[in-house]
Amino acid sequence: MAVPHAGSPEPRVIPVTSEFSVSWDVPEDQHIPWEFDPMHFSNPLPRWKNELWCEMADLGMSRAFAGYQMPIRARGKIFNDYNYATMFPVVPPEEMESQGKKAEATLGLALTSMHERWEVEWLPEIRQYLAFWDTCDLMALSLEGMLVHYDATIEKVRRLWHLHFEIVVPVYAATGFFDDLYKDLLEDQGTFSAIQLLGGFDNKTLETDRALWDLSRKATDTEVRQIMTMKVSSEVVAALQDSAAGQVFFGELNAYLADYGQRGASWSPSEPSWLEDPSPMIKNLQDYIGQERGDPRERWAAQTEERETGLAKAREQLAGYPEQVRGQFEFLLQVAQVGVVLCEDHGFWIDFQSMHRMVMVEVGRRLAEAGVVAEAADAFHLGMAEVRDALATLPAERKADIERHRGLQPPMQLGTDYGPRPEDPLSRAFGKFSGTPPEPTEEEGNLNGHAGSPGKIQGTAKVVRSMAEAEKLQQGDILVTGTTSPPWTPLFATAGAIVTDTGGILSHCAVVAREYRILAVVGTGAATKLISDGQVLEVDGDNGIVRIVG
Amino acid sequence: MNIVWLEQAICQELQRVGGKVANLSRLAADYRVPPGFCLTTAAYGTWAEVGGGDWPIQLLQELNTSYAEMTERCEAESLQVAVRSSAIDEDGQSASFAGQYETYLNVSGAEDVAEAVAHCWASVQSEQVLEYRRQNDLPVDNVQIAVLVQQMVPADIAGVAFSANPVNKNRDEVVINTSWGLGESVVSGTVSPDTYVVSKSDLQVLERDIAEKEKMTVAHPAEGTREVDVPRFMRGESTLDDAKVIEIAQLARVLEEQMGWPVDIECAYHGETLYLLQCRPITTLD
Repeated sequence: MAVPHAGSPEPRVIPVTSEFSVSWDVPEDQHIPWEFDPMHFSNPLPRWKNELWCEMADLGMSRAFAGYQMPIRARGKIFNDYNYATMFPVVPPEEMESQGKKAEATLGLALTSMHERWEVEWLPEIRQYLAFWDTCDLMALSLEGMLVHYDATIEKVRRLWHLHFEIVVPVYAATGFFDDLYKDLLEDQGTFSAIQLLGGFDNKTLETDRALWDLSRKATDTEVRQIMTMKVSSEVVAALQDSAAGQVFFGELNAYLADYGQRGASWSPSEPSWLEDPSPMIKNLQDYIGQERGDPRERWAAQTEERETGLAKAREQLAGYPEQVRGQFEFLLQVAQVGVVLCEDHGFWIDFQSMHRMVMVEVGRRLAEAGVVAEAADAFHLGMAEVRDALATLPAERKADIERHRGLQPPMQLGTDYGPRPEDPLSRAFGKFSGTPPEPTEEEGNLNGHAGSPGKIQGTAKVVRSMAEAEKLQQGDILVTGTTSPPWTPLFATAGAIVTDTGGILSHCAVVAREYRILAVVGTGAATKLISDGQVLEVDGDNGIVRIVG
Repeated sequence: MNIVWLEQAICQELQRVGGKVANLSRLAADYRVPPGFCLTTAAYGTWAEVGGGDWPIQLLQELNTSYAEMTERCEAESLQVAVRSSAIDEDGQSASFAGQYETYLNVSGAEDVAEAVAHCWASVQSEQVLEYRRQNDLPVDNVQIAVLVQQMVPADIAGVAFSANPVNKNRDEVVINTSWGLGESVVSGTVSPDTYVVSKSDLQVLERDIAEKEKMTVAHPAEGTREVDVPRFMRGESTLDDAKVIEIAQLARVLEEQMGWPVDIECAYHGETLYLLQCRPITTLD
């Protein structure tokens, strides 16, 4: 969190290149720091999604911060179709520390109630909204009814993202605080042991994956196996429907999609869910069918055992410590264990749900039918208010802008830089998730990142920028990507190691890589730009270094 | 008399047990002082007589019997004890001897206890102690020493309290210093402790100065004790709430009344229970 604070160095206006020109519609905005977030959105976004995400900062993050008495608020802003965010203090610098203490106390209480609130408050409310979308027959709505439904959808999405940040603030605090405490008390145990004590718990990402594995075990029929192993993923559905045995398996596949298919392949609802386009999920399924061993349950059993062994060791080490220290350790351990589960589960229920996307798809279909936009997907290029007003001329221009902007290299920061982030537990907690800039590389051909999952391995690089490119990944290849999101998880069973541009030691990618016991180096900054397909890489997951060896 | 117990009247005889133990013995019946026994100056004499090396068999048996008895009394399997030197002219009104002699914490098992006692005896002749004695115009020949073997309090919070303010000499102020863990980090000065100042007459807390406590001493199974980092979350946390501050101040106040001089005490909390570990006169008031 780049927050101007007491003792900041002289503000420095961040220079902009002529290529990435910036015009400040609100002049005051150039006096605050704006940060690009490639972990969530590395590409230019369609206007509708972009505006929605700006609202998430204003109405979601800021409301959650206020609820926890945190003295900061957030705002989003669009520069050349890229999404930037800022966090700014709402109290004078001299009050930051005392307000920060108050927030820590409030958060302390929030950690205690996090699990219960998830069970009795947050999840039921989330499911209520999902049911609202699930039970609506979009096709049957009148034009007027469609508008009412659209407005209600926006209201519910806003509320969902308010909930989202109400959940993630204590979740990141819990895991981050625990990691801090572990380092202070038991640092000599190495980088990964704190996380080891949080491993082996079930969550929705693992459940989704386990169900996919179980589905792969049902492909016993010779004909089905032949289709699943020979066809490319996009041709599988048609081939299955052509055969009797295939249709039975197709039924199983649809049952799986009914439970888990609402997930989109990315954070952006402008991209199709598995229900709309099951190819990415079918590719994962094909990989599983080709594997004889790999039941995720076996890995989790080993992890549970590792966790309990580590825990016994940690407790033995702390036996002579003051009870206040041991109490703090047990408390943060317990809430961090809840936190790692909620970290994945909130994503399943909020971030990757595509229910509200389906509303926009239907809106788009109707706008296209009326000739307002050329095709349904163009509706995402309208702004949120514009969807209502359905202006005719904008979408084509917006679409062209996106194409023009796609080649740009968005700078990591814009606006005004106030020096390094303040050193406090919450900033550290968020840094562990989103990652801090990597150390500059010392050796030619080396890329520095963060140690994400331990070990050392050599393999062939495959640069996969989206799930659509996942097809080229072969067993043991090194998956080089911008970032990974939960729907990518099954690829971890195929990859020999993961290298990402963004993310920290507690990022989704690092956590899941450790669950899968494959190596990971996260947050290298530019792996997808500097590495190309077929290069031989040596990945050093202990030290966070990637070497291009051939 | 080689070994006497804290609660025995004979344990108040300065020439046998030294000032530290005599003071504790006076208080053992009325305050929460951990149980303990003292190897008297006579025991030291017996050991020194045979050359100050191996233990005389009978003396060693006496020690083993007393340690076993205390273990049973504390219902422990293997009792952890603190082994502390108590010089005969230590804790007198003129020189505190604070920290001049050896102390061994978290010692358990008869063999280790015997070894710790022998180390205390041997420390009498250390150059550091002899120099301290010369500086304070005390004789350096025929020095006597006693050794206290006392149940170890696994302190969560420990510290010292003065029943008069040694800085501004205000006799109506109790000054308390506490930190996390065992008291050694406070006593040795490796940590800046929390400071509380309490009005002696009405027990109002006048000042609370919460320090960044970076280090703490904790019990360690292999090494006895170990100084470790305080986790960042707890460095700036107050070790005592007001109830505990007042409880310690009250203890210092009644001890001063009973002893008849301003006291310098060491105390420790294990859970919610406050233990008195030492009580000596403040030597720097005048």
